[in-house]
Amino acid sequence: MLVGSGEKPERAFMIIVAEEESLGGQKMFEHEVNPENIKKAEFVVAIPSYNEADSIAFPVQQADKGIQSFFGNRESVIINCDNNSNDGTKEIFLSIRSDTPKIYISTEPGIKGKGNNFRNLFKKIVDLDAKGVVVVDADLKSIMPNWIKHLGEPLFEDFGYVAPLYVRHKYDGTITNSIAYPLIRSLYGRRVRQPIGGDFGFWGKLAQIYLESDTWSDDVANFGIDIWMTTLAMNENVPICQAFMGRPKIHRPKDPGGDLGPMFRQVVGTIFNMMVEFYPFWSKVKWSKPTAIFGFGLGETEMPPPVKVDKEILFQRFHEGFDRYGRIWEKILQKETGNKLQEIREMDRERFDFPTHLWINVLIDFAIAYRDKLWGFDELLDSLIPIYLSKTLSFVIKTDRMSVREAEEFIEEECVQFEATKSLLIQRWNGR
Amino acid sequence: MAKILVVDDEEHIRLLYSEELSEAGYEVITAADGYKLTERIEKEKPDLVILDIKMVDYNGLDLLQEIRNKFYNLPVILCTAYDTFKEDIKSIAADFYVIKSFDLTELKNKIAMALEAEIPST
Repeated sequence: MLVGSGEKPERAFMIIVAEEESLGGQKMFEHEVNPENIKKAEFVVAIPSYNEADSIAFPVQQADKGIQSFFGNRESVIINCDNNSNDGTKEIFLSIRSDTPKIYISTEPGIKGKGNNFRNLFKKIVDLDAKGVVVVDADLKSIMPNWIKHLGEPLFEDFGYVAPLYVRHKYDGTITNSIAYPLIRSLYGRRVRQPIGGDFGFWGKLAQIYLESDTWSDDVANFGIDIWMTTLAMNENVPICQAFMGRPKIHRPKDPGGDLGPMFRQVVGTIFNMMVEFYPFWSKVKWSKPTAIFGFGLGETEMPPPVKVDKEILFQRFHEGFDRYGRIWEKILQKETGNKLQEIREMDRERFDFPTHLWINVLIDFAIAYRDKLWGFDELLDSLIPIYLSKTLSFVIKTDRMSVREAEEFIEEECVQFEATKSLLIQRWNGR
Repeated sequence: MAKILVVDDEEHIRLLYSEELSEAGYEVITAADGYKLTERIEKEKPDLVILDIKMVDYNGLDLLQEIRNKFYNLPVILCTAYDTFKEDIKSIAADFYVIKSFDLTELKNKIAMALEAEIPST
């Protein structure tokens, strides 16, 4: 049975396939399923997944259309790199009717993590000798065939890494807005608005560089993978551009006040770890440079759906942080920074204001504490969460009446403050 | 001495920028439109381009795209009389933008920042 274009995979089908592949109640593990025995491909679209049976069909169908419409003259393949999902992701993926051949690869049973999926993917890209690779998330609901074009075409021109540029709601992607974008921009000098976008393109030859990098870590093996790949590309001086996707990224929504723990630790931990590794590079970077933009002519830009934020939870979590993590903050924060935090603790929720320069000082203190191993990594990074949530609350209040575009301007101004404070970071990093 | 190419279809702006920026120690060359702009850049090799967004026969944002695709790291500062251009996502490919004014303090600051920006080669 094949799942055709536009069809919703049937749950019953998944159960039948799962039973067929069972052996004594134990599901058979297959590291790779390559039904068409593909040995070489110039262009790859990869979809990492873990238990995405309900959502993977749509991005696969859109990727197939994109490949056929815009890369029809290149040998191509769609690869699902999976964490041995037990919900039938593999079966659904392989059953989707497509004109592009498909390959399924999986980590060993029990091995989870998005980064581990990518490690398998890198090996496969090297085996296939692929020239260009586009990655899209398995839970995407807004992907269109021309996303594949915009992320893929620059790879066959002069660009080695293509980051996505979507219009996002001002409260979507708060880790990106508060930490990843301003820090990566000020550290490495490239203005890549979505450095952890999840949908991006890269030269196939970068796969070997990724495989050989000695900066791989447990965080990278999980959600740290996206920021790791972007940062390594910057450090390799790979020409980077951004592709305008025209539509907002619509996927499973995340509440900024919801459970952040592991993802926050892995993304921020990876950024801090890369700071340690790449000090010789970033200490020489001054200000920042924009990138080329690809993918215009899509007509009117769609506005993203609203993201609701529970301000009370953000406020509460900040206040709880003093009791829970006060000892850590006292040890790692500079005295003035700690005093300032105490000051803003006294503010009303409705007038809450977290100054940008204070946020920069907090991040500098945490990055140095991470480097100097002043506290266990997990607890150290967890203790940053309440402060980050209060910074988010301040952003939500300040941008409440702003349009998406005005909120972008606000973030840009914060980034300039990050860049202007770079010399302070370098001084502090060197213990002066 | 850094060389700056000013692209603007208004003569008085070209004159103003030429005088003030020359006094500030820059070598200034000018263009009255975007005709064969990338060829001109290739020939003149400016260190920075100041680009008017709205010219009679040329859209500065389209010219910006051409420049950015061909000269990956060349700093470009957009100049405009209106800030509505920010609605166009293409504008983020510029290093900076400034609203046109007879006081060039902000423009000079942005020029200094753009020329100082440096990403080392590995």
